[in-house]
Amino acid sequence: MYLLPKLGAPYQKILTKHEANKRIMKLRPGFSVILASSKTRLLTLSRYPGELLIDIITPIVFALIPILIGKASAGSGAETFFAFWNVAYWLRSEMETGTIEALYLSPSHRIWVAGGISLYSLIRSIFSAAIAYILGSFLFGVNPFQGNIVLALLFIIIGIIPLYGMTLIFGAMVLRVKQANTLVNLMQWIVSFLMGVFFPIAMLPAFLRVLALLFPPTWMNIGARASILGIEYFFTEWYLDLAVLWGFTIFAPLFGYWAFRSAENKIRSNEGVGTF
Amino acid sequence: MSGTVCVERLSKSYIVRHRKGLFHSQKRIVEALKDVSFEVHPGEILGLLGPNGAGKTTLIKILTTLLLPSSGDAWINGYHVQKNENEVRASVGCMLMGERGLYWKLTGQENLEYFGALYHLKPTARRRRAEEIISLLDLNDICNRPVESYSSGQKMLLAFGKALVNDSSLLILDEPTNTLDVPTASQLRAIVRDLNKQGKTIIYTTHIMSEAEMLCDRVAIIDYGNLLAIGSVADLKSSLKRNQVIQIQGTISDEAISALRLLPMVLQATAATVNGKNKLTVVVGEKREALSTIIATLLENGASLQTIYQEQPSLEDVFIAKTGRTLSEDTYKA
Repeated sequence: MYLLPKLGAPYQKILTKHEANKRIMKLRPGFSVILASSKTRLLTLSRYPGELLIDIITPIVFALIPILIGKASAGSGAETFFAFWNVAYWLRSEMETGTIEALYLSPSHRIWVAGGISLYSLIRSIFSAAIAYILGSFLFGVNPFQGNIVLALLFIIIGIIPLYGMTLIFGAMVLRVKQANTLVNLMQWIVSFLMGVFFPIAMLPAFLRVLALLFPPTWMNIGARASILGIEYFFTEWYLDLAVLWGFTIFAPLFGYWAFRSAENKIRSNEGVGTF
Repeated sequence: MSGTVCVERLSKSYIVRHRKGLFHSQKRIVEALKDVSFEVHPGEILGLLGPNGAGKTTLIKILTTLLLPSSGDAWINGYHVQKNENEVRASVGCMLMGERGLYWKLTGQENLEYFGALYHLKPTARRRRAEEIISLLDLNDICNRPVESYSSGQKMLLAFGKALVNDSSLLILDEPTNTLDVPTASQLRAIVRDLNKQGKTIIYTTHIMSEAEMLCDRVAIIDYGNLLAIGSVADLKSSLKRNQVIQIQGTISDEAISALRLLPMVLQATAATVNGKNKLTVVVGEKREALSTIIATLLENGASLQTIYQEQPSLEDVFIAKTGRTLSEDTYKA
């Protein structure tokens, strides 16, 4: 007789009484899913050594271009931003391989899984950004420890939360449009342009500047750049710029979550998430 | 509402586009499920039997929260599939999409551990669970190889193992023996039976009659989105009167078979060739008089008959009587 042991008592209790589900949106189990998803992503990439190498080098190049143009630090915020595009590509890849339905069958919410993908990308991007920053400083003969690095990091760390909200919006786009790589590439270029990666947004026409200020990464980039280079903040004082970024930390994730859920429900009402 | 699964008047329709050239398409509404109601009792194996495109997978996708129904309700372990979707997901182990639901670049062990994490198992518990499942399915030799190097059957076994990760009381298995060779399919059916003996309720979709007949406590026949019949295999067979299935052997031309199919009392006539002779299985209506008309029609069309006997109806005969065609033919056409 084929005998499969029961899961241990705590899991039996959790699973039969469904206590685990009450905790689904709580942090601890969510964090466990984030770590496992991040590890899975890394394991998958490690099976393609060439791609893993390119995956590390590409962000350095991405960051170096604005650094070469904007002297030493312009790309630091942008680098963090690029980390989150990977979620859109990841969703598409899950659709194509067919594993997206397997994810939807589990009680872990997709925002935690997407968080795991973002975590991997974020760690990789921070690593790449650090290398790019040191390289940029070396090339321009700039002291890498100039300016207020702690404040710049604060802008970047706080900016991560609204960025995650934007990630969910892009995820919703991929769910709806499906073959969205071209769209995502286009959006990547537009948003990079608007957030002032290549040049300050002060150079943009007025209407584009207003549009740019609606993007949380723009504020992250302005803040990080001003903190390091000692140039002017948008509202002159750093804490006012930071306050705007804080505002986005509340609004962007909520809007992103709403957009993602709406896209999911729309798809589940028709053909389901498995179609690609 | 005493069942592990309760389905009440479930319907599902969705829009598909019929492509016409590069830019033109026409929308069409497909009714995948029509007013389906049934219950799955605790501890039973319910077989969902129907040809490809009958609505089985749509039904399963609704029960596992992958799809939203157009109307109707369903409950799993008392949880509503729309209102308590996370509870439903946690209380079901599901094998859907077969091998496509796996990460092919990860090893079998890594796959099972990751899905364990998605069900909130702690790292040590998920590692142990993965090992137990690998051992159960006899995948020890290949568990540290990437899934992409597995044979089709090994991938299907691992996909089945994935459904066991959360040790749920309800297993939903969508055609789990597809692509398996005969011994492996037999092994998997034995495991399913043993898991059922250990208390698991199982919904098992298949289009293989013999599989449903040997494994399931009850069978639901689905066709074109309709639930045509549900009951134990014995009950379904006894719903056909014994004289309804007639086996005829002899030399029977295609014209004779065609003429037979035109008779109003003949529900189905299927022919197979054995040692150069025809073996004709005829399912007829309730009237015993049908036999004389059948014989007369065959003889008029040049048939030479050797044996005529009535046979105990099989599940295939039940399917034919309910749908008017054979499952194998329809699956082939689909």
